[in-house]
Amino acid sequence: MSILSDIILILLNGLQQGAIYVLLAVGLSIILGTLKFVNFAHGALYLIGTYAGVFIALNISLSNGKLFEWGFTTFGLDLGFFAALVLVPILVFVVGLLMERFVARPFYDRPDTDQILVTFGLAIVVQELFRILFGSNSLPFDQPETILSFGSFAGIPVSGPVALPIVGNFPQWRLYVIGITAVLVALVYIMVEYTDFGLVVRAGTRDAEMVRLLGIKITRPYIVVFGIGAALAGVAGVVGGPLNVVNPTIGTNILVPAFLTVVIGGVGSIAGAVVGGIVFGLTTAALVSLAPAWSQVGLYAIAAIVLLTRPQGILGDEEVAP
Amino acid sequence: MSEEDANPNAKDANPSSSEALVGSDLFGRWEQLRGREGTVVGLTAIFVAVFPWLFARAPVVSDFLQGYQSLATLILIWGIFAIGFDLLLGYTGLLSFGHAAFWGGAAYASGIVAKNISGDPIVMVVSGTLFAILLAWLLGFLSLRRGGIYFSILTLAFAQMMYFMAASPLAFLTNGENGLTGVDVGNLFGVIHLEADIPSIGGMLLGTWLYAFVGFIFVAAVAVAYRILNSPYGMVFRAIRENEQRAEFVGLNVWRYKLMAFIISGAFAGIAGSLFTIHGAYVPLQSLFWTESGDIVVMTVLGGAGSMFGPVLGVGVYLYIENIVSTVQALTIPFTDIVLIKDFGFYWHLLLGIVFVAVVWVVPDGLWGIIGRVRTFVSDRMGGER
Repeated sequence: MSILSDIILILLNGLQQGAIYVLLAVGLSIILGTLKFVNFAHGALYLIGTYAGVFIALNISLSNGKLFEWGFTTFGLDLGFFAALVLVPILVFVVGLLMERFVARPFYDRPDTDQILVTFGLAIVVQELFRILFGSNSLPFDQPETILSFGSFAGIPVSGPVALPIVGNFPQWRLYVIGITAVLVALVYIMVEYTDFGLVVRAGTRDAEMVRLLGIKITRPYIVVFGIGAALAGVAGVVGGPLNVVNPTIGTNILVPAFLTVVIGGVGSIAGAVVGGIVFGLTTAALVSLAPAWSQVGLYAIAAIVLLTRPQGILGDEEVAP
Repeated sequence: MSEEDANPNAKDANPSSSEALVGSDLFGRWEQLRGREGTVVGLTAIFVAVFPWLFARAPVVSDFLQGYQSLATLILIWGIFAIGFDLLLGYTGLLSFGHAAFWGGAAYASGIVAKNISGDPIVMVVSGTLFAILLAWLLGFLSLRRGGIYFSILTLAFAQMMYFMAASPLAFLTNGENGLTGVDVGNLFGVIHLEADIPSIGGMLLGTWLYAFVGFIFVAAVAVAYRILNSPYGMVFRAIRENEQRAEFVGLNVWRYKLMAFIISGAFAGIAGSLFTIHGAYVPLQSLFWTESGDIVVMTVLGGAGSMFGPVLGVGVYLYIENIVSTVQALTIPFTDIVLIKDFGFYWHLLLGIVFVAVVWVVPDGLWGIIGRVRTFVSDRMGGER
């Protein structure tokens, strides 16, 4: 009984932890695979998503930072969590479009190291902007009680425990995180694999020059891919925010595991990003309950082992990897 | 073009230039001299000798700069780190995001040696550096199997692994989150107390014995790095940066040279890391965190990767903004009381980030590259027949 329930708990917690990595990694991976652009500012998009989520969903009182000094004591629209879940991806999608147009495009023809450097610098700038505006303190971002509540309709409860067979009570919100991730990733997968748009994107991944010679404007799919990747990072910020702390360093802190997820899964492969995220999530969850001191070390050790034995990643394709 | 690339030409400059006009003759002589190792090391030594005085004690200049002795020492320590890092990034073309492993690893190693075996500064530096070399050998062997962005990410992953190792599984050695406290740094050669001021004129120029110790190692590091980079061995590093495949085809063992560049660079980081422990008598856990690797990347690129002194300039600018500009209350127009930006110091990191992005975008050869272009402009005017 107890061993089985422990295993299932580890699996569920691992999936939930992995879900956030998957959302970030799928975006990073399609950008890296398709556009051959190394985006060290992906964590900054997560950061923007989280703060935008707080802004749209809640109305919190500020106590720190320049916004407070300038006389804003409260911050937020208080539209509810569902609104944040819909609006934040749109907002971050637009941020992604702007970023592709004005940051990534001038750097496509420059070396990888320049791309890493400029996006790393950008990540610092975004992080510092948020630190200045909101202070270094953590913002409260509670897990939502209900979603879709308006007027007399009480909404669907999403917080609190839910009774599961074998393991007993489990925080309901975590299941929703897993569900939201699964749906979104499936949508992106269908779009890339089964639509005309996806066909162009995949062709561009193989040989962008050939696609251009065939008379297809590849810049438009490119900018959309960047936007979608960014929007996924925004969603990760909204659903992941309530599970972790919210402060200006979360962007740079989540970047490293997210990148490793992409690399161990295999660049340019959505399935790879999912596998990578789940491997990381399960490893972390297992080590947290078995050997807490080693939980973080294990993550990096796994990444190192995979990269050394299978450099193109678990599901990677040698031809696509830059 | 970086300055070093010009040096081989400067060395065997056309002798007929000595027959040119007197004004350009002096300039031509300087052009010949400035490429020589003796000149470079000599000028570095002079700079190291007057830097703390100018920075912290000279009338007018130091009042304007607001510098202090301990920051001068810190700039030289990070300078050694940056020279080593540039050897890898600027000359071999490998972007490591994990150099905190060598910096912090050496800092911990020397601190642990000081606590358990001997606090002799030389023993500390040697043990820290040895540890960094061994670690660089191991991590380089593993990370260099992959090129490009994978190399950056692998080094990042290994360094983060070190960080989390120090944070909890090895906390019995490293004291975990609190950092390694209570490091007792002994006397140099058993007699010289490093924190003490140097008597007489030396004290006026250099300040403390610690600065003299760090300064001596800095000059030695510059000499070694200059010798490596201007030797045939260093030429191979540059060949690999320019075109790895071609270097391979010529028959060079690219893998071995890359590994060696990584180890040399790790050794420099190790020397700097050990000195950092001696300087602060404390090792923060932060010294292993990946933002520390990011800092050295920013410093090196800001100053100018691919040049000898660019990264040191970058270190100076970075640490100056971090430690002194950050304390500025309000930015005023000079000699007036008109406030341009309130709480200016508060924005220091943002300012650095913006400057960094601008440098990467517009002038990839950094601040030193700008200086180099000004120099070329002037020398074209002065010695047109060169």
